[in-house]
Amino acid sequence: MEPTVEVQQQPTPRLRQVGPALYELDAGFREDMRVPARIVADEELLQKMAQDRSIVQLINVTTLPGIQGFAIGMPDMHEGYGFPVGGVAGTRLPDGVISPGGIGFDINCGVRLLSTGLRHDDVRDVIPALAHDLARSIPTGFGRHGRLALNPEQVDRVLTEGVPYVVCNLGMGTEDDLPSIESGGHLPAAAAARVSLRARERGHDQLGTLGGGNHFIELQRVDRILDAAAAKAFGLFEGQLTILIHTGSRGLGHQVCTDAVREMDRALAREGLRLVDRQLACAPFSSPEGQAYYAAMCAAANFAWSNRQVLTHRVREVFGRRLGADVWPRIVYDVAHNIAKVEEYGGQRLCVHRKGATRAFGPGNPELPEAWRQVGQPVFIPGSMGTCSFVLAGRSESRSVSFSSACHGAGRQLSRAAAKRQVVGAELRKELNARGIIVECPSNAELAEEAPTAYKDVERVVDAVETAGIARKVAKLVPLAVLKG
Amino acid sequence: METGTWQFEPHTSEVRIRVEGTDLAELFEEAGYALAEVMLGESPPEPPSGAEEEHLTLEAADTEALLVDWLNELISRSDMKKRVYTHVVVDTLAERKLHARIRGFTPEVLKTAVKAATFHGLEIREHEDRFIAFIVLDV
Repeated sequence: MEPTVEVQQQPTPRLRQVGPALYELDAGFREDMRVPARIVADEELLQKMAQDRSIVQLINVTTLPGIQGFAIGMPDMHEGYGFPVGGVAGTRLPDGVISPGGIGFDINCGVRLLSTGLRHDDVRDVIPALAHDLARSIPTGFGRHGRLALNPEQVDRVLTEGVPYVVCNLGMGTEDDLPSIESGGHLPAAAAARVSLRARERGHDQLGTLGGGNHFIELQRVDRILDAAAAKAFGLFEGQLTILIHTGSRGLGHQVCTDAVREMDRALAREGLRLVDRQLACAPFSSPEGQAYYAAMCAAANFAWSNRQVLTHRVREVFGRRLGADVWPRIVYDVAHNIAKVEEYGGQRLCVHRKGATRAFGPGNPELPEAWRQVGQPVFIPGSMGTCSFVLAGRSESRSVSFSSACHGAGRQLSRAAAKRQVVGAELRKELNARGIIVECPSNAELAEEAPTAYKDVERVVDAVETAGIARKVAKLVPLAVLKG
Repeated sequence: METGTWQFEPHTSEVRIRVEGTDLAELFEEAGYALAEVMLGESPPEPPSGAEEEHLTLEAADTEALLVDWLNELISRSDMKKRVYTHVVVDTLAERKLHARIRGFTPEVLKTAVKAATFHGLEIREHEDRFIAFIVLDV
């Protein structure tokens, strides 16, 4: 008889509603749970989550040593590995664990929004040339490295110093960019020496590259302003041309995670410890393994912010060539959605893991730039290709609801294989073109995998975040051109 | 390159593969070929005859970890050398150690970029006449 894959019974019926768009599964549901599982969703999104293993994976997260409060699933949650994608967990310092699987292989994958002072209507005719020029300027295909190859000393400095090094020493950007990046594009706990030679070798020519999968650069138009005061503070207006960049730490970050999972897995085996899922390999934050990984993860995060900075520089070069040197796309903000950060909640320092989740600080947080500190942190939620994206502003309630975290996208609902069965890449390309959306993507197969039908309804996902009190909607953006890796 | 001893299982966002081999060495080779198919699409071509042969030796905590290390070695070499390996030979494989020879080429377009092999849901089952493994790749 052929072996079969066991799909565990989903526990959806036991979820109880504890607030608007907020559900919980008690810690007594499974013996090994240390805290409840909390999910931000409406009923329809919950039903979608119940169709894969994401809720079981969230329950597995509740078993992590030192976890506080609850493991949280965002409304875009779907099945991942170890943590679900859209999973958040805070572990108590110093003895709670840090788990590389709770951050993911693409460390500091994130989103950066650039704004221009231009109205789309005034530059409509230039969009095809901008898209084409971006595609020529930014390496996307396999075997193509970035235009910037760093020597070993430069790699070390990017890892240690992050975006300030890229701005001040590589001349890409200005110091005005720094406050508009989460953590100023630099985590001081980074230690380049904790990043393996192989990881550095993988990364040395990858700054300024997009990578494949769901990474993209999108030219967009601000379709609708939903909160005038917040939009004004963020520098957004209706009809404005904007640029959204989505990518991460490339092969360097992947290798950092690979190295750490291997090390922690070995350490657990030495101590005879078994986890409910081996991909949740972890170590106490204060242990040598935990500290080594945290320092390497911070370095990879600095690399990812630097990558988005170099891409920003390329975008500015293209806009300057096509529209004049005085057109200077400005960074609205840059947020990570695969990262661990040390933050304080209720007087307790926690290591907050965000795996496919965005930090969403409310108004007044001292980490936010003064210019819009009283508005709340910008949160960017890209929808699927061809639909729309949202800008939100974090609310104070996010602290108690979700460790100041929001979703990171629409969330997949179809596997890549299912998407390809339903969608023909070449036809999707034509359909998007017919709607006036330019697509620059070398692979039709990859295009089909990222088809809009493969994703949940982003408006429903964002509504759940708003209903739960995590963040409020500020603006809706629609795509004009998309460049995919 | 032969095909057919692996199949793709449902997974919402990543790639879950079921691989078979008559012994562990073949299981690992087939897993390598499955990875190449993920990266290139069906029936990837053999590398050109003059393609460089790379030798690799790995040691891990157990056989499951060795399978993860093996695939991650192929993935990281692909990233560094801009190659996809469509010819893999596992010469020796003990419980925790392997030696292999691999050859690859640089394709024009990559169908799917693979970030890493994971331990999630990883199983290697021994049956009377074969080994079967399940593995999830982050893509």
